[in-house]
Amino acid sequence: MFKKILIANRGEIAVRVLRACREMGIRTVGVFSEVDRNALHVRLADEAYPIGPAASRESYLRIDKLLDVATKAGCDALHPGYGFLAENPALPRACEDTGITFIGPPAEAMEAMGSKTAGKQLARRSDVPTVPGTDDPIEKPEEAQSLARTMGYPILLKAIAGGGGKGMRVVPNDAAFPAAWRDAASEAMNAFGDPRVFLEKYLIGPRHIEIQVFADAHGRVVSLGERECSIQRRHQKVIEEAPSPVVTPDLRRRMGEAAVRLTRAGGYVNAGTVEFLVDAELNFYFLEVNTRLQVEHPVTEQVTGLDLVKLQIAIAAGHRLPFAWESITPRGHAMEVRLYAEDPDNNFFPSPGHILSRHAPTGPGIRLDEGVYEGYTVPMEYDPLLSKLIAWGNSREETIARLRRALDEYTITGIRTNVSLFRRILGEPEFLRGEIHTKWLDELLTRPRPPAVAPREGTEEAAVIAAALWHIEQAGRSSLAHPESQVSSRWKLHGRHEQVDRTP
Amino acid sequence: MKFEVHLQSPVGGARTRVVELERTGSVYRVKIDGEAVAADAVQVSPNTVSVLLGGQAFEVHVTPSLNGTIKLQSGPHEFVAELRDPRAWEGRRHGAAELEGRQQIVAPMPGKVIRVLVRAGDSVEAGQGLVVVEAMKMQNEIRSPKTGKVERLQVREGQAVNAGELLCVVS
Repeated sequence: MFKKILIANRGEIAVRVLRACREMGIRTVGVFSEVDRNALHVRLADEAYPIGPAASRESYLRIDKLLDVATKAGCDALHPGYGFLAENPALPRACEDTGITFIGPPAEAMEAMGSKTAGKQLARRSDVPTVPGTDDPIEKPEEAQSLARTMGYPILLKAIAGGGGKGMRVVPNDAAFPAAWRDAASEAMNAFGDPRVFLEKYLIGPRHIEIQVFADAHGRVVSLGERECSIQRRHQKVIEEAPSPVVTPDLRRRMGEAAVRLTRAGGYVNAGTVEFLVDAELNFYFLEVNTRLQVEHPVTEQVTGLDLVKLQIAIAAGHRLPFAWESITPRGHAMEVRLYAEDPDNNFFPSPGHILSRHAPTGPGIRLDEGVYEGYTVPMEYDPLLSKLIAWGNSREETIARLRRALDEYTITGIRTNVSLFRRILGEPEFLRGEIHTKWLDELLTRPRPPAVAPREGTEEAAVIAAALWHIEQAGRSSLAHPESQVSSRWKLHGRHEQVDRTP
Repeated sequence: MKFEVHLQSPVGGARTRVVELERTGSVYRVKIDGEAVAADAVQVSPNTVSVLLGGQAFEVHVTPSLNGTIKLQSGPHEFVAELRDPRAWEGRRHGAAELEGRQQIVAPMPGKVIRVLVRAGDSVEAGQGLVVVEAMKMQNEIRSPKTGKVERLQVREGQAVNAGELLCVVS
């Protein structure tokens, strides 16, 4: 087993990886940019080293600096977390050259499965259903349009180099095709420097359901079941759950087998996620492979009882997968919400800043994976993910009730968060019935907001009293903080209070 | 102490409540709009006040903002409040309440001090600018809450400050 691991990331995922290492008795080395000296992952790591300025391309994206720290600190392995360099094949290559084990898939498997078109070709070859469409870019718009006619509208145009919804256009009918083609190509050119576009059948109201797979270096591949991630805002997941409310044991088995076939065909090792779109008739279509640990991995951990980060480390160390099965049956239900420092009342504008106070929810069935603390200043340079709040219970209903209870307990002041968004979603009848799809949240947010619930009697009075009391105490603290009025000894201060405060 | 609290909330609209807190021993006696209420209020952490109103439990989180108002959050409910001390009404300038006693002026949010407008020992009017703090690309003039003298200046130009950090003291 490894002795010391470099965690090439920041924020909650760096903390998550660090915790797994600590439980395994492995020493941890953290890295930080100039604005991250106070970050939780730096405070918790056994060792931590600076790697440069705030801009991530000068720090967290610098392979040379990361490997320099890893070498000097004597690390024998590196965990990339998610984001940053996690899906860049140059990192595992550089690790190999330096003699450090990369905790993740080999560079070749990343390349064979990571890109959208390569993944799709692999899926076709391994008999995994894909969304009807073209694998290859089409040069001539006329040729593309006649193909669109034979496939039937609506059609989706996608950039070859795409991601994040850029260079993507839904074409509702034949008349709209030429304009949509021009827009998609020019947007793709602007965003990626590559105007090439391909066609796909556009599914109406699909669900996003993904399969967590694990492969060891000895040829064994297993599925750990599905996660439903249909609650997305502009292609970004905001709530994930396992199991999916619509996946039957038979569908789980078929999706799991398809994902395992694909993973095996790609020569993949370590943790990966095979994403599918699922239509109303429960047909599933391959979407893409994520060649890393996912943000939403905790929901799988809660329903399988497995620690996925520890499994990743064990597999990287050459261990065999310790399971007797090819796929598993989830136990209970788990759901995760992504709490961001952003203002839902102001178009989800990022709201970094100083956390004045914070109360974290605890109690039965609650897990909080986070990288923040009271007094911490959320930097404006990075993704404003604060915490992942995960609830689990015996049923979907119990899990949602726990999540709502935990959201009520969770308070954070000084910055704005998207907690109110989750309060709203978790009260929507369609969500409670599990009738969701990837556009559901975007549609919900265009509807007028339900009228604010009138606060319970006394809330306003309590608020007014709190404001006055806070003001008085604030003034009291100010005079105490001033040297002239400060009492030299805490005992003297206590004595004075005793004399003043007769009633304890 | 007696305060006029100007409240703004999505449900209740704008309104003014008068609250009086009088300390007796370790507890406060509370009056709202002149009427005594059975309230037990405790500051449980620097920004959190627990209020028992006739046994009904409330928790209120208090966040000061840049423009001098404070945000009050209780569960999903939010109020924006402005506190005024009626005793200081005559002396107030620029519509702001004037406070009594030595006042600590703190940075309302993290940022950078880009200008210091006064020197220690200067006499200042209520509402007069003391320090300009730049936060999230916006310049905010921090003003004196009272007429008095700048007793201490804790920051210099170019210095980065955290929310709550002392800028100066006006007495």
